[in-house]
Amino acid sequence: MGKLLDWLDSRFALKRTHGRFLQRRIPSDLGYTYCFGGVAFTCFLMLAFSGFLLSLYYVPSEKDAYRSIVMITNEVTLGWVVRGLHKWSASLFIVSIMFHTIRVFVSKAYRPPRDLNWMVGVVAFVLAMFSGFTGYLLPWDQKAYWATEVGTAMSQNVPFIGDYVMYAFRGGPEVGGVTLVRFYSFHMLYLPASISVLLWTHFHMVKRLGISKNL
Amino acid sequence: MTRRDFLKGIIKSSFFLLAAGIFGAAWYIYPSNARKRRTQYVYVLDEDELPKRGVRKLEFKYSVDDNEILNRAFIVVTEKGLTTFSPVCTHLGCYVNWDNNRKEFLCPCHGGRYSIYGAVIAGPPPKPLVRLPYKIEAGKIYLGITV
Repeated sequence: MGKLLDWLDSRFALKRTHGRFLQRRIPSDLGYTYCFGGVAFTCFLMLAFSGFLLSLYYVPSEKDAYRSIVMITNEVTLGWVVRGLHKWSASLFIVSIMFHTIRVFVSKAYRPPRDLNWMVGVVAFVLAMFSGFTGYLLPWDQKAYWATEVGTAMSQNVPFIGDYVMYAFRGGPEVGGVTLVRFYSFHMLYLPASISVLLWTHFHMVKRLGISKNL
Repeated sequence: MTRRDFLKGIIKSSFFLLAAGIFGAAWYIYPSNARKRRTQYVYVLDEDELPKRGVRKLEFKYSVDDNEILNRAFIVVTEKGLTTFSPVCTHLGCYVNWDNNRKEFLCPCHGGRYSIYGAVIAGPPPKPLVRLPYKIEAGKIYLGITV
């Protein structure tokens, strides 16, 4: 490595952690089906990257949300690429989590001592679905509006607390500006933060417990 | 090529992908409609409409990128000749008014006072009133507005 990198490494000691991360012992007969977790995490990183960029131009208000989306797509340099990356990574994120779940199930990797990791994964999956649901409203067009209208109305059917849940989602009796701000906040603050923490615990357990290879 | 070399190559080339992402992001962040400021000359009045001596308040319209803008300026004729002032107070940007009894420009916000030559007499303004460039062509006066 170059002088600068050696200097950095003597202070930051990146190479050593790096080595512990990359030079782990893993079973030799792992197939490509074991890649879906990694694909999902790559999607998560892409979503974070493009999401940070989108947040520079997106305006979460009743009046300006749709206009700002049109501006990102048509006027901002490479805006259509960033928006496309965010949209397609989101779809691939959900799909790869599903394949990952199937692989874990088939290879019986949910059994103790990995049962807690399975639970963490399930919670992360639900939060990812919520991210998709809240992100769907943000373009603030007809499709987004009615999808949210229907989606939040479903929550009214929860026994006993249905009304409360629906009003909590919508921030009022109708889907409106408050709902948009609420979904925006969840989409880029609460959910990504929670998912990040869950993913850290998920990877920590994979590292400590190793990969299950018995089929 | 060994497997180790192949993997090393993949890791190294992924840095190019990262660099491309960073450059793309920088390009995306830079505003696409950014343009340089320029001076646009706007017709305000005819030369024979000028006062012999004194101050005349001007209100005029012009358009920049299809947006119509209403703007103001002062045109001043003294024994030293013609000057044009921006009415924006150099303190915090309020519009100043010409007081014909005191023969001073007064700022209503914090009491800044300027002489007929634009110099600060009293109050908080740090600099004299800004002079606008103008040109006279075929008896018409044009003001240089920075847009």
